[in-house]
Amino acid sequence: MSDQKEYLKAEREKEWRVELRNKIKNRERTDIPRVKMPEMDPLERIKYQDREVNQGLSVAQAQREASRCMDCVNPTCMEGCPVSINIPKFVKYIDKGDFLSAAKTLKETSALPAVCGRVCPQEKQCESHCFYIQKLKKEPVAIGYLERFAADYERESGQMSVPETAPKNGIKIAAIGSGPASLSFAGDMIKRGYDVTVFEALHEIGGVLKYGIPEFRLPNKIVDVEIEILKKMGVKFETNFIVGRTASFDDLKAESFEAFFVASGAGLPNFMNIPGENYNGILSSNEYLTRVNLMNAASSDFDTPVFRGKNVAVIGGGNTAMDSVRTAKRLGAERAMIIYRRSREEMPARVEEVKHAEEEGVEFLNLNNPVEYFADAKGHVSRVRLQRMELGEPDASGRRRPVPVEGSEYDIAADLVIVAVGVSPNPLIPKALPELKISRWRTIEVEQDKMQSSLPELFAGGDIVRGGATVILAMGDGRKAAASMHEYLQQKSQIINHKS
Amino acid sequence: MNKIVEKDFFSSKVARFVVEAPRIARSRKPGHFIILRVDEKGERIPLTITDADAKAGTITLVVQKVGVSSEKLCALNPGDFIHDVVGPLGRATDIKKVGTILACGGGVGVAPLFPIVQGFKKAGNRVVSILAARNKDLIILEDEIRKWSDEVIIMTDDGSYGKKGLVTAGAEEVILREKVDECIAIGPAVMMKFTSLLTKKYGIPTQASLNAMMVDGTGMCGACRVSVGGQTRFTCIDGPEFDAHQIDFDELMLRLGGYTELEKEAYQKYFESSK
Amino acid sequence: MANLTTRFFGLELKSPVIAASSSMTGNPEQIKKLAEAGAGAIVLKSIFEEEIYQQLQEELSLRPAIHSDAEYLDYFDYVIKDETLKKYVQLVADVKKAIDIPVIASVNCVSSGEWTLFAKKLEDAGADAIELNLFIVPSDAEKSNEYNEQFYFNTVKKVKEKVSIPVTIKISYYFSNLAKIAGELSETGISGITIFNRFFSPDIDINKEELVTANVLSQADEYLLPLRWTGILANQVKCDLAATTGIHSAGTAIKFLLAGASAVQVASVLYSEGAGAITRMNKEIATWMDKKQYRRIDDFKGSLNMTNAKNAAYFERVQFMKYFGGKEF
Repeated sequence: MSDQKEYLKAEREKEWRVELRNKIKNRERTDIPRVKMPEMDPLERIKYQDREVNQGLSVAQAQREASRCMDCVNPTCMEGCPVSINIPKFVKYIDKGDFLSAAKTLKETSALPAVCGRVCPQEKQCESHCFYIQKLKKEPVAIGYLERFAADYERESGQMSVPETAPKNGIKIAAIGSGPASLSFAGDMIKRGYDVTVFEALHEIGGVLKYGIPEFRLPNKIVDVEIEILKKMGVKFETNFIVGRTASFDDLKAESFEAFFVASGAGLPNFMNIPGENYNGILSSNEYLTRVNLMNAASSDFDTPVFRGKNVAVIGGGNTAMDSVRTAKRLGAERAMIIYRRSREEMPARVEEVKHAEEEGVEFLNLNNPVEYFADAKGHVSRVRLQRMELGEPDASGRRRPVPVEGSEYDIAADLVIVAVGVSPNPLIPKALPELKISRWRTIEVEQDKMQSSLPELFAGGDIVRGGATVILAMGDGRKAAASMHEYLQQKSQIINHKS
Repeated sequence: MNKIVEKDFFSSKVARFVVEAPRIARSRKPGHFIILRVDEKGERIPLTITDADAKAGTITLVVQKVGVSSEKLCALNPGDFIHDVVGPLGRATDIKKVGTILACGGGVGVAPLFPIVQGFKKAGNRVVSILAARNKDLIILEDEIRKWSDEVIIMTDDGSYGKKGLVTAGAEEVILREKVDECIAIGPAVMMKFTSLLTKKYGIPTQASLNAMMVDGTGMCGACRVSVGGQTRFTCIDGPEFDAHQIDFDELMLRLGGYTELEKEAYQKYFESSK
Repeated sequence: MANLTTRFFGLELKSPVIAASSSMTGNPEQIKKLAEAGAGAIVLKSIFEEEIYQQLQEELSLRPAIHSDAEYLDYFDYVIKDETLKKYVQLVADVKKAIDIPVIASVNCVSSGEWTLFAKKLEDAGADAIELNLFIVPSDAEKSNEYNEQFYFNTVKKVKEKVSIPVTIKISYYFSNLAKIAGELSETGISGITIFNRFFSPDIDINKEELVTANVLSQADEYLLPLRWTGILANQVKCDLAATTGIHSAGTAIKFLLAGASAVQVASVLYSEGAGAITRMNKEIATWMDKKQYRRIDDFKGSLNMTNAKNAAYFERVQFMKYFGGKEF
């Protein structure tokens, strides 16, 4: 870690950084208000499934915002970043006007900066540690917007750098799942010269980035650009391939794969198991979002259908619930409602998503919980019975416990219900490897710093290890696993060389 | 992209395809299914693997034309490609030697029944197979089933082939005349429901293979959920076969009808656009 | 020869001695012994709404940092609930296979939320009846009488809507108008009321100056409270009554039957003496009945209840004055 500190110090002392710091007095810097992200008009944007709400900063806006950064001696923002991106360095490159270098800096640590800039909960991570908010009680530097800016600039300039790769070492390795953890892992391993194949069960690459996060938050074409770069670097992708079913781990070992990174995600949807939950028109958020985002069900050109409800109730308060309710609004819902059993402030979703949802006309029914569903004569949901909740004592996580209010049940009309109350680890891999050590909650157990499982040649990361978490954490796991697998394979080949 | 190697029609509505899928052909066991997408705009649909040739690297699929996706698939010919095929999915049939198996197939349900009949016969059981359909044209795979059964009974609603009557009539006759150790029923949900009620009466353990609607087929979406023994199960992960006596068939049939309106509209549009 | 059959839980029971809900009745092996010892019915170990919450707390505090995403944990209690219910449904099914006597599922609630609605699954699993253990200690000064009472009626109503098997309740004595409430509850279609549930009692260790758990098992004289109320309520409720707490001997059981109960539920005596206590109690009840020449329980049931409420209170007051008032009456 002290290497890190040394490195940061050395970078900070470089002439161009010193120059930038001296250019403006800190007093002036701190007077600049935080930039406002240009957003598409709410009533306009709900007409489109695939128009991004945030339109991106202009060059002038980005540089001005970047100049707010004081290039702290001790950059606390980095402590908030799960993958320790060198934030001052990339921000100052933007300040300087060298946007391509900013993008390059991002890529030193983050494989998918255009993605993170859009979906990270910065208000809980880097930005919450910024000096501005910590010490000055002012709005933090808009690190997320700047990250997006640099990544988008590089992409749009057509000058996307394809990172260099080491000479091929001929060792075959596999990544299972093609979501953020695997893409991150693959990027790192291909750079080290490994022969990398990413196996994906679905017909599209990208995992939750494609099927889960809607286009109006993360356009699929941005994900595709990142995937193209990986392909250019030599990463192989095989879709429609379920490791453990299409071919077993033993089959792959017989095909000379020497190590595996399992990042198959937490895709199994949780339901509440309340009466009526199996009526038609009640979907898991996974099903709803997969139909719309992955199968383009909203478009009449595509064959997969989706219900367009008039009165849509989305149960849950996280990002998935926000994505679902905003999608419903875009699909023509007259009432698109969030039903969440705790208060507004306690919703785990990104603050920006909640704000955008509200602007778009989503109704928030906080302190409400469904207890039963009723259907029409055809068996399609028509009503939800809600019970009001009040907040009781805090539980072990510090959040106040929702307690039902006696006799407070009432019904609302709903013809589409999306259940977004969480996911569980996908069971396919654990079932295929009975000897793999699984936690009691069905996540793969790994040694935390090495991401190595109970089977030495098998590493794991992302939601299959964490239960359900963020894109950036998955990416961090992918990078850690890459470093760790590299060490393992190097040691293994040394032993083999030694023996021969 | 999987190439179609062979194609023939059992009837105007039911086609058989032999498709290149070497890995699936090697890994698959009776009871498994695949999910396919005809083209880039297509739906993901499940189809049971009726047969496979590991050496040739091919699998056999049987499709009935019931909507847009099945129509599109049936319009393809040898040399064409199916855009995506993934599998093998689901839990394989639990095949063991129990004595006498009564295998009941309704309509196109005989296609998924065939590998199970074959498996149970290979395991040394006595196999009595009942093939049932509305009329003679809709009876499929009769020769293949005969090859692997000790006895084959054919039932048609209109009496145009075999005996006149429903599958349950044929099944009850067998149950009354000999000891049946286990029953498999595959076909339209209502057929499986009534066959199950019959075997429940006689206390015969029965497996039904469900044709729930699916989107991803890998346990990710829950569209295929069914109630078995009061618990919610995912057909694509825990099934497609379940203990028939515990299945809530009424709920299954309700869920199968969930997209009927949208499907009808789409089917209509498809016909109009292909004119 | 005395016939010990009686009616409770809406069912014919072959003995008035029921194995109450306790950790003994959570284990199929133990349950089998109790059934073989002659119990009239088994009330399974309770499934607690609060247990789900407690387990969630444990999970949250034991979780490694790697599993702490707020969105992932937000509805985690539903995952725990699902697991817990699955296990309980399995218990019901397993026990039903192992014994012949009625198996009663016991559900412990503190609110009438969606918790009550899984009662249907218990019915599907084969439970012969459901005992709702309605469990609130009115220590919250913010909640009114009416609010607390609503909980009882709402819960019963919700469960009755979902199931067709008999539903009984087990209640506490914390009511300002116990006779009225019991009467009204008995008219909701329930098949029995058991008095009273026995709460965990805190005690104080004066040396450590700490709160500790009081005696978990009941003391023999604890039966006096439910005995009085059995006598008072027996004719005021429309459904059958059963009693519990402190019933350690056949003699005590008989007292309750005389007071008007149709059955008694025992737990503590099983801990101290084992399943054999039931066999002993059945035998001694039969011996007493033979001595008194009673052929059936109904021959003597309720003969000593306090027939009407006005009399009962008056009777008690008068006796009290007689013994403690220092006046001749």
